[in-house]
Amino acid sequence: MAIVIEPYRPEHEPAVQEFNRRLQQSSGDPDLVFSQRSVPRWLPPADDSPVWNEFFVAVEGSSVRGAYGLKQEMFFVRGKGSHRVACYHHPLSEGIIDRRYASVGVLLARDALARQPLLYALGMGGADRPIARMLKVLGFCLIPIPFYFRVVRPYKFLLEMQALRQARWRALLMNIAAATGTGWLAIKSAQALSMLRGRAGDFAAEEIPGFSDWAEDLWNQANGNVSMAAVRDAKTLRLLYRADVTSIKRLRVNRNNAAIGWAINGQRRKDPKYGEMRVGSIVDCWAAPENAAEVVQAATQALEKEGVDLIVSNQSHHMWCRAFESGGFLKGPSTFVFAASKKLTELLQPLEENRTSLHITRADGDGLPANF
Amino acid sequence: MNPAVFDQIRMMASDLFDVPVDRITASSSPETVENWDSVQHLNLVLALEEKFGLQLSPEEIEQMKSIGDTAKLVDSKLQATPR
Repeated sequence: MAIVIEPYRPEHEPAVQEFNRRLQQSSGDPDLVFSQRSVPRWLPPADDSPVWNEFFVAVEGSSVRGAYGLKQEMFFVRGKGSHRVACYHHPLSEGIIDRRYASVGVLLARDALARQPLLYALGMGGADRPIARMLKVLGFCLIPIPFYFRVVRPYKFLLEMQALRQARWRALLMNIAAATGTGWLAIKSAQALSMLRGRAGDFAAEEIPGFSDWAEDLWNQANGNVSMAAVRDAKTLRLLYRADVTSIKRLRVNRNNAAIGWAINGQRRKDPKYGEMRVGSIVDCWAAPENAAEVVQAATQALEKEGVDLIVSNQSHHMWCRAFESGGFLKGPSTFVFAASKKLTELLQPLEENRTSLHITRADGDGLPANF
Repeated sequence: MNPAVFDQIRMMASDLFDVPVDRITASSSPETVENWDSVQHLNLVLALEEKFGLQLSPEEIEQMKSIGDTAKLVDSKLQATPR
């Protein structure tokens, strides 16, 4: 029977539940699930909304064999105006557990491209993962987004950072470093050295319930510094960081009572790779280049006050990378990849010149509700 | 099935899936060829499109259940293509 890809409707929900059950039963991976609701909880389509999610399912008779989401949004491209772009997310195929459906992954990706040629995907767990490899075959340009971290409590970091403790010898060394204090000294020294690269000026930060005209002004003042970014005007920010969402904190950073930037902080949900650590994340940020260091410092101080053990962030723009480095953050290996379709890459030309001034953060793509 | 088309597709599959060509038969499928996963399925689609100058629709991609099915599909599309 032919497989047809169509918008996810309420009548598909029982078949999606059955699809999820098959995936989980065969893979044992609790994260291999697609939304059981046809209407997205995060960013449902609404009249006059600049950003929304929509879902599609691959249907074979009465069964669902695959599904994916598109987050439709506006991207600002310097010198080329605003463009509607979509993020391809949560593609799931029966092919993961049943080779007879190996073609479904191809059908999903091609369907998404047909619906929106200006397509991107983000994260994916690294360039060597199947989704990233498939997108590369389809001509997507893969750009790793740098990962930054700052250790607030070295002792806990050394004992709990499971991602670094896989090898027994390394875990032993980390135990010794924690017990003797040499780990504390090494981490704090590296972070202090990093901070010699620059210094933040005066600022004051306040937690705010939402975004208004000041955020619109900041967007308009600073977007000339980025080659491409998802639009962060006040209306879009109010939708992305809704006032009733308590898992994130909105910070406004001021100088002389005037807004110079903003940041979104969150605490990451439990993740085995971080052990028992409380992990804070600077999820998103915006400012003119000369004020980036102040925003990073304000966001860092707010998370430290909350008592996190480790702070992480992903940043692509060279200005923000520098601000994080001068804020005592160290650069680590990144598995967070931005994949741009051929058409989207064309918009980014000249790529070599523009890739370091792309503004991509952890808030882009689909990760916001899942990770915080 | 056109033997020339079948042989070309066998060679292509052998390269893509890293399997000796004599082990690629008409019944070879994702279930029987270890390296035939979704990424390699896409590679096969793109290689067929380039080699034979075809565009495969979603329905046609889904018909590619085995090398034999794929060869039949490509052959029928070539026959239908005005020369």
